[in-house]
Amino acid sequence: MCDTFHVTTAPSADRTRLAHSLVLLLPAVLFGLLVSAQWRTQAERNELTVRYNTPLLDAAKTLQNEQNALKLQLADLRTELDRIQTSASTQSGAAKDLQARIDELKLVAGLSERTGDGVIITLDDARGAAAAKDIEKSICHNTDLTDIVNQAWRGGAEAIAINDERIVGSSSIYCVGSTIMVNGTLMSPPFSVVVIGPQNELLATYDDPTQLRDIKQRRDIYGLGFRVSRATGLHLPPYRGALNVRYATPR
Amino acid sequence: MRSNAGVISVTVVAMFLGVLAVTQIAAQDVYSRSLQLETPASLTTLIANLSERNNAIKDEILDLRHRTDTAREAIASGKGSLTEAERQLSQLRIFAGMSAASGAGITVRIDGTFDERALSDLVNELRNAGAEAIAVNTARVGPRSHFGATADRALTVDSVALRGPWQVRAVGSPEVMYVAMTRTGGIVGQFELIYKGTRFDVTKESALDLPALATPLR
Repeated sequence: MCDTFHVTTAPSADRTRLAHSLVLLLPAVLFGLLVSAQWRTQAERNELTVRYNTPLLDAAKTLQNEQNALKLQLADLRTELDRIQTSASTQSGAAKDLQARIDELKLVAGLSERTGDGVIITLDDARGAAAAKDIEKSICHNTDLTDIVNQAWRGGAEAIAINDERIVGSSSIYCVGSTIMVNGTLMSPPFSVVVIGPQNELLATYDDPTQLRDIKQRRDIYGLGFRVSRATGLHLPPYRGALNVRYATPR
Repeated sequence: MRSNAGVISVTVVAMFLGVLAVTQIAAQDVYSRSLQLETPASLTTLIANLSERNNAIKDEILDLRHRTDTAREAIASGKGSLTEAERQLSQLRIFAGMSAASGAGITVRIDGTFDERALSDLVNELRNAGAEAIAVNTARVGPRSHFGATADRALTVDSVALRGPWQVRAVGSPEVMYVAMTRTGGIVGQFELIYKGTRFDVTKESALDLPALATPLR
């Protein structure tokens, strides 16, 4: 009995030991992977950012702050000119008519505030583990934003803003390295694309499986953040940049 | 005892792993972008872009100051500010695509396979280079214009089908826009790699005449 007992327990102890070492093997491998991943990202960061970046970063930040201040000045001047115009327009019928046409154009061109119902689209880099599979596909690009904006206009949007930058006829959504600029303002994810317009049409255009296929696929595979939701009582700021009409003359 | 020791060591390793996994997720800031991670070359481009923008705003501030003063004087002298209002109106009509626009600029001719997303990217690139008015063939591109394609390979601007070869015309600084389009690694260079066999020609123009939007904005 005893022998039998030993005979049966000896392999069992071996198996337990084997099982233990296997149990430890997997975490050990994972551990190694994680340590190396951590170390690699650290190394990349250091190489890129040491020498030249500090003065360049300072310059970029200074310029961005200067731009914010300049935009405020520009907005003040526009308000001032508006005030002068409006007070003058009480003087004659012709001036009043002209002012009404200016106000109407400002509204459609994105130079006035706008309130109403619509949808909000949020776009964000993937944060989960799936993101590590392909960084290029798991982060947001400026072309994702241009596609989302194009789709909004197609769905009948009346006004759009990305992280509070109003989209107008001269707006560009530009990408340098991995930083995105909208109307010349530096931005980083998450992006909130706020759209005022007919809710049902807008939702339908984003739901259409033939549209924005690339973004939807990356959401499903890599966990890219992409969500469209109905929203009410939206408030969009006016465009605050330069109108920049210098070369073009009316015909 | 032995199996207890096993359980303990597995537990310790598992806890350690948990801590590391959390650290790694937190470190995924690396994927979320910040200026800190840009290369010096990208930062230099960003800075050039920012200072160009700032200069455009400064120019407009000077211009607006002058106009505000002129309007104020005109009202004070009893002439009213019709001239300023008319000027503002014509500027806004160009900005909104509501009036035909003339001026110097560039033309990008595209002969061959092309698609709506590339067209949208090209328009975006032109706007970033300071284009003041843009048209694709006979269609003016407005503030709310959208791009699409038909089943038979025509491109659409605001649902109007336009057949290739396409001419994308933009009024603005010919030099700035030309360089922005044709620089090494620029958008035309990228198109040439992607749309092999399609011909892209960029030319500076001294006088372009672009139509107004076919359907006025409401």
